Amino acid sequence: MPQQLAIIVLVDVGNALEAKSLEDNTYLFDNMKLQGSENEGTGKLVTAINGSYWSDGSQASEQVLNWLPYSLGSLPPTVPRGYEVERARQTDQKALADLEALVNRPAGQGADPSADLAQIQRSVGTRVKSNRRNRGPAAAKILDLTGKVVPADSSAAHSYPAPVITDIYGEAVDEKIIYPAEYGSPDLVTDGWYWSATVDTSRPGTYAYTMKIQLHKLVESGTEALWEPVNLTCESWLRITSEPKRNGFTGAGLGLLPLS
Amino acid sequence: MAVKQKVNIVAVVDVIGALSDGTLGNGNLCLIDDGPYDSRGQGTPQLETVVAPGQTVQWTALAVDLQTPVEIKSITFVGQDDDTSHRGNGAAHRPHESAQQQHPGQRPQSRRSSGSSQGLAQDRDNGDVAHQANGHKETYENLELAVWSGVVPYHLTPGTPLKYRLELQMYEGPRSTLTVESAALVATTPQQ
Repeated sequence: MPQQLAIIVLVDVGNALEAKSLEDNTYLFDNMKLQGSENEGTGKLVTAINGSYWSDGSQASEQVLNWLPYSLGSLPPTVPRGYEVERARQTDQKALADLEALVNRPAGQGADPSADLAQIQRSVGTRVKSNRRNRGPAAAKILDLTGKVVPADSSAAHSYPAPVITDIYGEAVDEKIIYPAEYGSPDLVTDGWYWSATVDTSRPGTYAYTMKIQLHKLVESGTEALWEPVNLTCESWLRITSEPKRNGFTGAGLGLLPLS
Repeated sequence: MAVKQKVNIVAVVDVIGALSDGTLGNGNLCLIDDGPYDSRGQGTPQLETVVAPGQTVQWTALAVDLQTPVEIKSITFVGQDDDTSHRGNGAAHRPHESAQQQHPGQRPQSRRSSGSSQGLAQDRDNGDVAHQANGHKETYENLELAVWSGVVPYHLTPGTPLKYRLELQMYEGPRSTLTVESAALVATTPQQ
């Protein structure tokens, strides 16, 4: 059974949103460098898929591709599922405790209470409204890459929701070279979903395919903050080759075991 | 009773464990077979597969983690190789052909060389193989193309274990090839 092939789609989300393009903001890697993949770590990856066939011409091995999107500029996908909600709750609790301390403080002590209140307001952070219409990320607060809340009046860098592949199409699909589909997965690092495809290696050649990738941009709508979906595309290539199977001992067909 | 014509021997490899430990021991290799006789050591590297003359034996390597690479590089019956003492210095099993200038992804033609190398490229070279700028060898042999199967000959001595050296390749580089010589085929005793 051949090794499963993984293609990592690493997106610089902040710059891609700014440029409104994935070009030069996407870095593709696969685990087939040894087998001949080219342009690893660039946006021009050519994935080598080495198939094989039996002497009667039938396909001898099935190659399986998996696509995994990752983000530059997001909280790592390995933090616990409820991390963002938990952080939001913790900051709410801290703000309540600070408020209580402020109320219980004897009059005339400390600095200007309005300044303290403003500080508490900042520490609460900014909640992003859930955008049900666009099925965007769940409601949570804006966090930075260290998990701290980002105040509403701050222009500090914030963590972006991870990129999502929403479709794989193009020449390789039209020519029926790959059969991609989205599958459910128990691995929550991929958010429970991943794109996968089997490959028809009987027609060697280089075939292009396009990934539709959804990013999310933080926009302010009146007093509310929203994650606005932004759909962008990114192209990559598969180079299919196929060679005949042969016997490891004889180099040709089946023979006696070479015992002596 | 008709004898099962084919016996499969599967080498299940924990590639990450084997490469980390530098050994196929420590439980990093399990050998199992589906032979009709009572093989010993199922699930261990000491598998003794009982086979009958005329049966076809086929070896396959399978990675525990499907996204890790492992292929059988060679299977050599111990005793057929005259000099086993210089295993590991790279000289004995170097391919007979010189490294070919090749484009990545374009594989050498299937070839068979004489002697014990089984015609398969070896990775223990000390620098005489051309490397690309990215450090990868320019020659790449798709070990997945090899089907490791053969027919058990009739001249085996029944009951005597015939050990074989199983060489597994996990990706590339100086420490990517690991070998065990603990498994064996044993010819079944003819029925009375």
